[in-house]
Amino acid sequence: MKLKLERRVAPSQIMQYLSPLLAVGLTALTGLCMFIAMGKDPATAFYVFAVQPIENLYGVGELLIKASPLILIGLGLAVGFRANVWNIGAEGQLTVGVIFSGVVALHYGPQGGSWVLPAMVVAGAFGGMLWSAIPAFLRTRFNANEILTSLMLTYVAQLWLSYLIYGPWRDPNGFNFPQSEPLAPSALFPILIEGTRLNASVLITLAAVVFTWFILKRSFVGYQLQVVGLSEPAARYAGFNGRRAVWIAMLAGGVASGIAGVGEIAGPLGQLFPTASPGYGFAAIIVAFLGRLQPIGIVLGGLLISLLYLSGEAAQMTLNLPSAITGLFQGVLLFFLLGADILITYRIRVIPGTVKLKKVTA
Amino acid sequence: MFSMTRRNFLRSSAAGATIGLGPGLKAFAQNEVLKVGVVHQGPIAENGWEAFHARAWRSLESKSGGKVKVTVLDNVQQAQDAERVFRQLAAQGHQLIMGTTFSQYATLRKLAPTLPKTKFECCAGIGTLDNLGVFEARSYEGTYLTGIAAGKMTKSNVLGWVGAFPVPQVIYGLNAFMLGARSVNPNAVCKLIWANAWSDPAKEKDAINALVSQGADVLSGSPNTPVQGLAAEEKGVWSIGSSGDFSAFVKNRQLTSFELDWTSAYAEAAQGVIDGKWKAESKWRGLGPGGFVRMTTQNAALPAEVRALMAEKEKAILEGKFHPFTGEIKDQSGKVRVAAGATMPDAELRSIDWLVEGIQGQLPRT
Amino acid sequence: MDTLSAIVIATLVAGTPLVYAGLGELVTEKSGMLNLGVEGMMLFGAVTAFAVTHATHNLWLGVLFAAFAGAVLAAIFALLTLTLKANQVASGLALAIFGAGASAFLGKPYVGVALAREPSELAAWVSGIPLIGSTLVLLHPLIYLSWAAFGGVFWFLYRTRAGLVLRAVGESPASAHSIGYPVNTVRLYAVLFGGAMAGIAGAYLAVVYTSLWVEGMTAGRGWIALALVVFATWRPERVLLGAYLFGGMTTVQLFAQGAGIPVPPEMMSALPYLATIVVLVLISRNPTLVQLNAPASLGKLFHGEA
Repeated sequence: MKLKLERRVAPSQIMQYLSPLLAVGLTALTGLCMFIAMGKDPATAFYVFAVQPIENLYGVGELLIKASPLILIGLGLAVGFRANVWNIGAEGQLTVGVIFSGVVALHYGPQGGSWVLPAMVVAGAFGGMLWSAIPAFLRTRFNANEILTSLMLTYVAQLWLSYLIYGPWRDPNGFNFPQSEPLAPSALFPILIEGTRLNASVLITLAAVVFTWFILKRSFVGYQLQVVGLSEPAARYAGFNGRRAVWIAMLAGGVASGIAGVGEIAGPLGQLFPTASPGYGFAAIIVAFLGRLQPIGIVLGGLLISLLYLSGEAAQMTLNLPSAITGLFQGVLLFFLLGADILITYRIRVIPGTVKLKKVTA
Repeated sequence: MFSMTRRNFLRSSAAGATIGLGPGLKAFAQNEVLKVGVVHQGPIAENGWEAFHARAWRSLESKSGGKVKVTVLDNVQQAQDAERVFRQLAAQGHQLIMGTTFSQYATLRKLAPTLPKTKFECCAGIGTLDNLGVFEARSYEGTYLTGIAAGKMTKSNVLGWVGAFPVPQVIYGLNAFMLGARSVNPNAVCKLIWANAWSDPAKEKDAINALVSQGADVLSGSPNTPVQGLAAEEKGVWSIGSSGDFSAFVKNRQLTSFELDWTSAYAEAAQGVIDGKWKAESKWRGLGPGGFVRMTTQNAALPAEVRALMAEKEKAILEGKFHPFTGEIKDQSGKVRVAAGATMPDAELRSIDWLVEGIQGQLPRT
Repeated sequence: MDTLSAIVIATLVAGTPLVYAGLGELVTEKSGMLNLGVEGMMLFGAVTAFAVTHATHNLWLGVLFAAFAGAVLAAIFALLTLTLKANQVASGLALAIFGAGASAFLGKPYVGVALAREPSELAAWVSGIPLIGSTLVLLHPLIYLSWAAFGGVFWFLYRTRAGLVLRAVGESPASAHSIGYPVNTVRLYAVLFGGAMAGIAGAYLAVVYTSLWVEGMTAGRGWIALALVVFATWRPERVLLGAYLFGGMTTVQLFAQGAGIPVPPEMMSALPYLATIVVLVLISRNPTLVQLNAPASLGKLFHGEA
């Protein structure tokens, strides 16, 4: 008897919702085994991981402001992934968004004015868009693979920011520490809930969720993107412009990443440092997949990944677990997720062994 | 228990008047345990920057006889996360919170006013607040002395320095190294390479090899791991354990070394909170008792006259008779920055952004 | 030793991890699989090599285990993408993240600990060889082995039937499948080979070159290896040259700094990435050129019946 993977007639709807849950469950199980192996009480460990980070208002606020860039970028990337356009350079686009909005913030922030913050958002969106336009151009004009071009540009962007912070943008009053001057109040997002760090950039993400849902589900453009992603020949036959799809896909990711970058410097950071994000651009790729490229799923996925970041810290503080545990869990979660996805298009069939016939003698 | 005699009352209110006693600043009861929170930016290692902090809080905890309990987080690399971690430590009842690197200073400065009941201290920062103190090491005292050894022991008159990133502490350390070397060897020069990476030992080794092939025979820098010393040893040249003693691995060719010792910083902060007398200070200390810099090893091959020179200068520094940054000091372009006989003021020294004559290398342009 | 020889040696040293990882990823990609997880496999190999060498004092054992460790991680990628038909880009990224996290986790007891450098008998013997001995001994055996690996990969891909099959699988898995070639098995071996080579690359950094373990010590070399394969238009000889070119950029930048030449380090560090983009554009615009070398099915899912 053996197990065989057999293609389903049609993708299973149930498994589409079940597979992320299965992945989360398997990750939790793995975690529990690890905790027991390390001598930690599983019940306490579970509490520390799942509940402790959000047990007060401040924790909830932290969950949201960490999920916000993940969700925003995830939405932008999902638009692209659906169209089979693989934007891996979100981290770089975020960084360029930081650079462009940083110009506005540092030059005009001190003067004040209610126009500074919206200008920063526009500048950041433009910066991210510009950085994603390069791979889009290279793909549509020269057929260059956007995975590699967008990835390479990430490093270029990070080096650019580092050069600026160690050089021309160093705070003149900052004892030559590599950091910009603190952003003026007019360049910061207002705090929504007293006592937390939850700021207005979350509203932008919320709007993005609604907007993306509308575009993908209800608009013709969304439909086109989906067809292009599923079958390029079919799309061409139907007259959908493949090139336009690539542009829209890449720019969506770029704009989202750029705005997310603004959210970081005008939000919890309040200043520019040599690095702007703890890898949100890459984590958002996980979020997009976790959410099955659907807006609601991405919201949930973003909240889960955000919780994982916070759990890692809580685990260090309360359980004395090492800091590397966050990366480990993120990787494991993604493994299980990618693995569980197979159950959507394939099902497991048990093939009975052959029956041995006994020779009958008269 | 704190007994309220008239003398005690007067003493404590005098103390209170000088500190500007805020709520919560009272001495600890007999059984009360002080919870201290420490946040590392990088992973805690056997040696290097994080290791020095780790030694200090471990010593604090073990010597406190149970009165101090330390909670530690490491690998908190980004400022956004550091803010949350600091705040949560405070919320969980840690009354003293220590930041271990300059990149946490901006965060602590933002946070401290919102948490008046908690005391914060940061390793390197610009200025203090009511409940935020800073402490930094006058590592230049250590590098000056090692510079003397380097200047005397170099045969090629070319020294080398491999730095990670051009941050102020490294710059004044490097400048003092050159000044120390030139004080005994006016022909010495120092080649400078920035690795531009915090954890890339292969690149650091490449940098050492490059300097050696360009003639450097005494290497120093701001190493966090033994890689630079090992690379130098492989090439048969001297290395200096600058802010770190790597002789356990670099068995033969570590010329001399000094370490950073934060024990007093942690101990004093903790004791201050326990006694209810904690005050926000800006501590910038070098050699000496209660200081943050300790000369550690000297190679057996270091001649007696060099040791004597180093000891003499060390004594002069301890007695306050000598300051490494005493003029005349010229920068790379030959311009006189510190007049003969004058001493560079602390404020200027802390934010120094130029290199002294004899250093062959660059700082990023502002 | 004069500066020129020093630069040459430094370039060879800096390029060697890229040669190993690049050749491995080349074979993987030639079979049509895009494994973005090279950085994770290198780190995992590095920490494994360090742990094993630390325990056994045997460098070669460490390298061997590192190859095995890299292959184990690659096997996870193969399981996800070949058996479970998962998306290759996402799987590769997951591998990179997992590899980094796992290596940091396992490497905790070793941070900042240096391996004891034992004098090598082999090195003593080699330096005794008349005339060329003293030059030969300047390079570590793993560097010579990397050249042998290059020769092996080249010979395998272009002079053996198995290599032809592998290239065919990469060009058109459907055609290869219809001829009867075991597409998934071939790809599995290609992926495992890539993992093993990445593991050796990591081992070189941690155990041969620096004798240290530091979290994240590959510092992006895995991503550069990915760029390298593209830069080399999927030809092994260009991987070799490109590895030394990229390695040389770093080396020259350091030497320039030491010589006092004002070189903005960020610019130099960005060069390999920019160069790769330029090459990618150049080769992609010519469809014939692309077809000649880039595996046509790279990254695409193959739906064969098991």
